[in-house]
Amino acid sequence: MTVELLKELSDAVIDGNKDKSVELTNKLLDLGMNAKDILDNGLLPGMEVVGIRFRDNIIFVPQVLISARAMKSSLALLEPLLSKAELKGSGTVIIGTVKGDIHDIGKNIVAMMLRSSGFSVIDLGIDTRAEKFLDAIKKENAEIVGMSALLTTTMGYMKTVIDRIKEENILVKVMVGGAPISKAFADQIGADGYAKNATDAVKLAKSLIGIVTKEETVE
Amino acid sequence: MTPKERMNNAMHLKETDRVPVMCQLSIGHYFLYSGIDPIDIWFSSEGFAEALLRLRDRYSFDGVLINLPGRDPDYKKFVSRIDRNDDGAIVNWKNGNYTTVPKDDNPHYYQNDGSRYFPSFEEIKPEELFYIEPWDITDITYPYTWGFEKEPRPFNDFFPGYHFDSIKIVKQKIGDLYSVHSEVFSPWSQFLELLNYENALMAIMDDPEKVKACLDRLTEGSIDLGKKQAKEGVDAVLISSAFAGAGLISREQYEEFVLPYEKRIVEGIRNEFDIPVYTHTCGSIGDRLDLMMATGTNGIDTLDPPPLGTVDLEEAKRILTGRVFIKGNIDPVNTLLNCDETGVEKDVAWRINTGKAGGGFILSSACSIAPYTPQKNIRLLSILAEKFGKYNL
Repeated sequence: MTVELLKELSDAVIDGNKDKSVELTNKLLDLGMNAKDILDNGLLPGMEVVGIRFRDNIIFVPQVLISARAMKSSLALLEPLLSKAELKGSGTVIIGTVKGDIHDIGKNIVAMMLRSSGFSVIDLGIDTRAEKFLDAIKKENAEIVGMSALLTTTMGYMKTVIDRIKEENILVKVMVGGAPISKAFADQIGADGYAKNATDAVKLAKSLIGIVTKEETVE
Repeated sequence: MTPKERMNNAMHLKETDRVPVMCQLSIGHYFLYSGIDPIDIWFSSEGFAEALLRLRDRYSFDGVLINLPGRDPDYKKFVSRIDRNDDGAIVNWKNGNYTTVPKDDNPHYYQNDGSRYFPSFEEIKPEELFYIEPWDITDITYPYTWGFEKEPRPFNDFFPGYHFDSIKIVKQKIGDLYSVHSEVFSPWSQFLELLNYENALMAIMDDPEKVKACLDRLTEGSIDLGKKQAKEGVDAVLISSAFAGAGLISREQYEEFVLPYEKRIVEGIRNEFDIPVYTHTCGSIGDRLDLMMATGTNGIDTLDPPPLGTVDLEEAKRILTGRVFIKGNIDPVNTLLNCDETGVEKDVAWRINTGKAGGGFILSSACSIAPYTPQKNIRLLSILAEKFGKYNL
């Protein structure tokens, strides 16, 4: 029965059915299932399908958003029951849109996709100053920091953050993205990687912490 | 041939003496290079009009796009204090809210707690909507009010008189010689700005019929505004539809939530005014040029090339020539912002040669010219149009 319910939970996430997702999560908890198992075998497989369909242009941003909303609602029930290690998952990513930039939809989709791939994501929001990035990296002992910019006026601030990270000798991998960003720009400012979309961002994040081989990484 | 005639011919798919040039500049570029205080540009019709005129003249463009609404001439009575700093300025309002005015980018209005206001989808009543101006000086309000006005205006007198002041100034100063374009926001863009993007995108999944009811009302406002701008004598109306590309929505969603409403705008304006109405959509639109044409639009603006978008100019020419005019498609970041003059010349010469065949081509940056784009690169565009863009009339 639980296998069927987990499959239904995955389907609810894929369909973006928040109410159904919450109902099934509660039901599985009532049946005594471990929160980590519900996450790993119900929610994450659902979001994995969403990610693949998004990558292949089968679904678009609206569908991804409602799926993420469904997952987030269920996750809110599970989080108090998950240990710190379980919550950290594959690793911790600090993410934010840089100072001066208030555009966040791309950054939010990347954050959702990273969460759905087992990362713990701390989203600093928009208009994020270097100090805020650095404080969060240190506090969360993060493995990766992701910066986003939509504007050509704000993309230069990514280098300010990277310079500060280097000045303080903080061991963290830096990934960048956004409409005007390119691999060449990422190299120029000293970032460890650039991803052109959310799917590539997940691959890149995994490669940066050694989950996949270098050959599989995104250039 | 005057610049106005050149633009007019191109918009009517006719050949001209040469390819016309007209780019949309980012607001930040006006702030940095017009020599006018950003506060005056953003908050006064006269300041913005003067910035448009100065930079059109500097870059020898054949036309200008007036892409901010005219402003309340009495806005200063709502100002409490202006603080200047290295990044720009902060305008503090008497109501406790404030506007950040960066030296190089669009200003933003914030509530006194630092947040931006957006209504929820649930509280929206479609019948209360008419038009949402994302660049109003007090940002998004609901029910919608202009600036610091306390009450919503009646729909039969929705747009304040000062809304058209920038158009009037520009028309009066250069309207006989140069092409003057105005802008209306598409209902889809208005809807996304009203709810903030993510909530709006989820709304189309949650309650598509209510979304359509909202779009239906916002279409009426767009038509009304476009007609009023046309009455002021603009040479063309641009429908700003930035969020309708494949980066956000599918072709099917475009057909459902964008196409029918933009079609009504085109028809609504053109039924009364014989001027081109054209469409600006950013990013990845290579998969939906046919749908954009189905709106009846007279032209397609931007056509971002890879990597910013997905439009191959040669393919776009094959699809669009003789049907709609093309305004584009120079990469504003990788060419205009980042290349030296040699790189700009190489890329732009190719675009002129590819675009000019068969007429109906206006040389332009794809999306807006970025704030820090070197002025010499922009000046080069009209020189290159003279060099490579001549037709044998």
